[in-house]
Amino acid sequence: MDAVPARPRLRLGYAFDPIGVLGLAVVLAWGLVAVCAPLITPYPVGEIVDLDYFGPITGQFWLGTDYLGRDMLSRILMGARYTVGISLAAVSLACLTGVALGMAAAVVGGWFDAVLSRFLDALNSIPGKLFGLVVVAGVGSSIPVLIVTLAVIYTPGAYRFARALAVNVNTMDFVTVARVRGEGTAYIVRHEILPNIVGPVLADLGLRFVFVVLLLSGLSFLGIGVQPPNADWGALVRENIGGLPFGAPAVIVPSLAIASLTIGVNLLIDNLPRRIRDRSA
Amino acid sequence: MSAHFATNWSHRDDARVEEAIRRGASRRELLRGLMLGGVAASVGTAILGRAGAAAAAAPRTGGSLRAAGWSSSTADTLDPAKASLSTDYVRCCSFYNRLTFLDAGGNIQMELAESIESGDAKVWVVKLRKGVTFHSGKTLTAADVVYSLKRHLDPAVGSKANALARQMTGFATPDDRTVEITLASPNADLPTILATHHFMILAEGTTTFAKANGTGAFTCEVFEPGVRSVGLRNRNYWKTDGPYLDSFEFFAIPDDPARVNALLSGDVQLAAAINPRSIRLVESQPGVVLSKSTSGNYTDFNMRLDVAPGDKPGFVEGMKHLLNRQQIQKSALRGLAEIANDQPVPPSNRYHNPDVKPRAYDPEKAKFLLGKAGVLGQTIPIVASDAAGSSIDMATLLQQAAAGIGLKLDVQRVPSDGYWSNYWLKAPICFGNVNPRPTPDILFSLFYASEAPWNETRFKSEKFDRLLVEARGLLDDAKRKAIYGDMQAMIADEAGTAIPVYISNVDAHSAKLKGLQPNPLGGMMGYAFAEHVWLEA
Amino acid sequence: MKSQIPSLVLGRILVALLTLLVVSFTIFCATELLPGDVAEVLLGQAATPEAVAGLRRAMHLDEPALLRFLRWLGGLLTGDLGTSYANHLPVAQLIGGRLVNTLKLAAVTALISVPVALATGIAAAVLRGSLFDRIVTALAIGVVSVPEFMVATSAVLLFAVYLKWLPALSFTSEVQSVWQLLRVFIMPVITLSFVISAQMIRMTRAAVIEALSKPYAEMALLKGASRLRIVLRHALPNAVGPIVNAVALSLSYLLGGVIIVETIFNYPGIAKLMVDAVSTRDLPLIQTCAMVFCLGYLALITTADILAILANPRLR
Repeated sequence: MDAVPARPRLRLGYAFDPIGVLGLAVVLAWGLVAVCAPLITPYPVGEIVDLDYFGPITGQFWLGTDYLGRDMLSRILMGARYTVGISLAAVSLACLTGVALGMAAAVVGGWFDAVLSRFLDALNSIPGKLFGLVVVAGVGSSIPVLIVTLAVIYTPGAYRFARALAVNVNTMDFVTVARVRGEGTAYIVRHEILPNIVGPVLADLGLRFVFVVLLLSGLSFLGIGVQPPNADWGALVRENIGGLPFGAPAVIVPSLAIASLTIGVNLLIDNLPRRIRDRSA
Repeated sequence: MSAHFATNWSHRDDARVEEAIRRGASRRELLRGLMLGGVAASVGTAILGRAGAAAAAAPRTGGSLRAAGWSSSTADTLDPAKASLSTDYVRCCSFYNRLTFLDAGGNIQMELAESIESGDAKVWVVKLRKGVTFHSGKTLTAADVVYSLKRHLDPAVGSKANALARQMTGFATPDDRTVEITLASPNADLPTILATHHFMILAEGTTTFAKANGTGAFTCEVFEPGVRSVGLRNRNYWKTDGPYLDSFEFFAIPDDPARVNALLSGDVQLAAAINPRSIRLVESQPGVVLSKSTSGNYTDFNMRLDVAPGDKPGFVEGMKHLLNRQQIQKSALRGLAEIANDQPVPPSNRYHNPDVKPRAYDPEKAKFLLGKAGVLGQTIPIVASDAAGSSIDMATLLQQAAAGIGLKLDVQRVPSDGYWSNYWLKAPICFGNVNPRPTPDILFSLFYASEAPWNETRFKSEKFDRLLVEARGLLDDAKRKAIYGDMQAMIADEAGTAIPVYISNVDAHSAKLKGLQPNPLGGMMGYAFAEHVWLEA
Repeated sequence: MKSQIPSLVLGRILVALLTLLVVSFTIFCATELLPGDVAEVLLGQAATPEAVAGLRRAMHLDEPALLRFLRWLGGLLTGDLGTSYANHLPVAQLIGGRLVNTLKLAAVTALISVPVALATGIAAAVLRGSLFDRIVTALAIGVVSVPEFMVATSAVLLFAVYLKWLPALSFTSEVQSVWQLLRVFIMPVITLSFVISAQMIRMTRAAVIEALSKPYAEMALLKGASRLRIVLRHALPNAVGPIVNAVALSLSYLLGGVIIVETIFNYPGIAKLMVDAVSTRDLPLIQTCAMVFCLGYLALITTADILAILANPRLR
């Protein structure tokens, strides 16, 4: 790997890439906001504080006002709770399940692999928003239901990707050697397969996080997301989209918030210290 | 026509504006003049739209129009009995005719009927016009009318007007051009009922609706449910004035900004139901005109009187005082609404009772009344949905007001999908949305009589039922007006419905589109615009 | 060795048929769980108990649901997709034109976005750590994290409302020349490319980097092979598996996931049709749409699996 030039920082071993640090800072900052939101919102999220709508940035309303004249800053701070919390929980759940099953399927093979693969294919062929609509219509909308629904929607994708990677690794000589040595499935998955696919799997996780954030806003659009007066960031963009022609901060700021969070998460993942990221090779 | 706008607006004012336009006054100047006259800006714009149209002299024949409504699905239909949305109404109005219709002033005009008369309001004699033919070439006869009306009684048809049609108990055809309709009990409003969209006239024996065979101004060229429909000018149309368009295409763009953008980019010439927040944008663009009508559409807050908490004395009254009507009008609807007084007959209706005053926003009084009902400190669920327009905004406002007096409202937003069958009329507290109906009798019979099919709050009053039947049979208009006035007061005081505002409808169209007028049956000229408008070169 | 492929395809087709059956039954159960039925939906506010009962009887909805499902399945075997509950038109007629529209849009989007995304991803992997790589990585995520309706609405405002270069709506009925086709498709295609490219770029980059870090790639480099040669001959074949999977998953979005683009550009495709079908509880239409999505998805991923096997000799 040292043969690839232009990466002098690597020699420092544990050192974080500064861009990775930036990503971490952004994610931590939003996490902090999510935790402290109720303490720092200047106005109650549902209260109409401005007679005008799509108000500009002023000393009184730091991020302007929304389509009803509610304070945007307060709504974004509270929205962080839902966007960060629900998305992180859902994406972790989806990737943990998907990757574990994917690796197991690749190593075990045979019927286990075939049945699991076809079952998850079937699940994945149903469009996500429709699946969400049906689930929420059936069991009602609450935060745990949203998390599980989003996780179920994204598990087959994570599975498929992890399995494709793991199948390749599974044919490598060192896996065969381990198998001949008499190691069990769990050992092979943990010590031989996982370290060799963790890079792309993390890259996939970063992207899946973006999709979960967006699907959450899509569900709000169908009326089955977070309950009012609260709203996640995607829903904030959606409900204020009418302000776009006026360049209202109410539509631009939540978009920027989504972009900063998702880019932050991905910068962090892409620039994790190499010791953590690819322990192979 | 001024009845639907500012009350102090007279025909002379209309004439003055027209004259000014001929002189070449700019739109901005005129608007300023109107503002000084005390007319709100949005209303002023609508008046300008109309006066401009009148000044443009004779209609021009030719051209094709593209118009966009706001909702459409695979359930779109050409069957007038099943018509449920603007999209269906627009199609029905252009492919079919009714016996009567309502003009801009809310007055009955004859369409396929030459006359409708009755001595006792129980037996009605309809004389049909001569020489009207269907698109298939068949001549209109009394049998077609009887067939079209009787369909609404058959449950297999699934008619939306079944509740209104049920009073028609007897049909007779003394000759080819005469129909006798016998009612279960006298109803002086029958000509108005027949003017509503579901009572379009079909050819006898029509059972399939892949294409429309009506007597209307356009023939049905394309009909793709959930996609679009295209009408071509009916060259054998029996009316002499219109239609002017060679063809028109109608489809729906459900996304509010996308609909406005399609109009501004010139892809459509008419866009219905403009979001109040887009009006600033539309007004800033040249060549686009707004047309507003307040015809009595409302979103109401329903507290069922037969279950908790609506059955507790003081609860309903308290909640009515907790509704900040001014704020709903200003913040949720951006001024495109009139403050309402908890009863369904709007000020544009000649039976409206102005003595029933809207309840004031009074948190102290509400606190006292709700305390009496014993609900303070409790959490009360409220069901809202996008299906009932603006209800989520209203619920959020109410939630804030309630928090101020120590009442916790749990706003449950549910999907539009399935709202009417699963929540409306069922949840103890939920929102409804009611389309304009032309007469108090229709509104009261459908929503407030003890046995009304859609009695939203289970309001039951023997006196109310008695008055309803009495007024229905009266041909003396002054007496009816007095009774309807009393009934409006009863609803405002006793029913569990809170009606905060009447919501205005604003359509926007290209300045080249002329002839569009407001109508009490709804936006887009009561959905019948296609027949009446023309495009300037 | 290659003789394995036909038997694999055959096996997959059999499994696909089974999957379709399972999906259709699952969809049927889910539809039954949804509150309300087509009679109530069609009557809307007019759904009084008597009216609903009458309409149900007239539409044969009072028969057991399972019987209706089996009848639809039987019809399917003879090539009859059934009749829509909502408007009594044949399902085949409702779906036909809209499926063609969806496939057209998907094809144009795929033709443009797949080559661009793969080339960008490979370039970023080869130039890993460079400014180009960093910009591509951040941009790919930045672009995909803007909600679709925001991209589409901004594009319409700019190009249709202010500049008036393009139509705001995509009228397919008017397309007569390639130029018109371009005008109609350009904004929807750009919006969709934004959504699907990121996944392909990221996965391609990650997979190629992974392959480049393998001992054989380093060996080749030590032997003095050119970098281009290493990428094309050694890294790519080993990275094909994950890449084709990412492409397949991205493209499957173009079938059922384009509801927002269809709505904003008023483009009559099959995604909006399925949402309509669900909201009117129109069982035959829901089933048929689900079959189309499932079939498209299975075709894509089966192709991906076969390509992955062909590219990696060790998997044969």
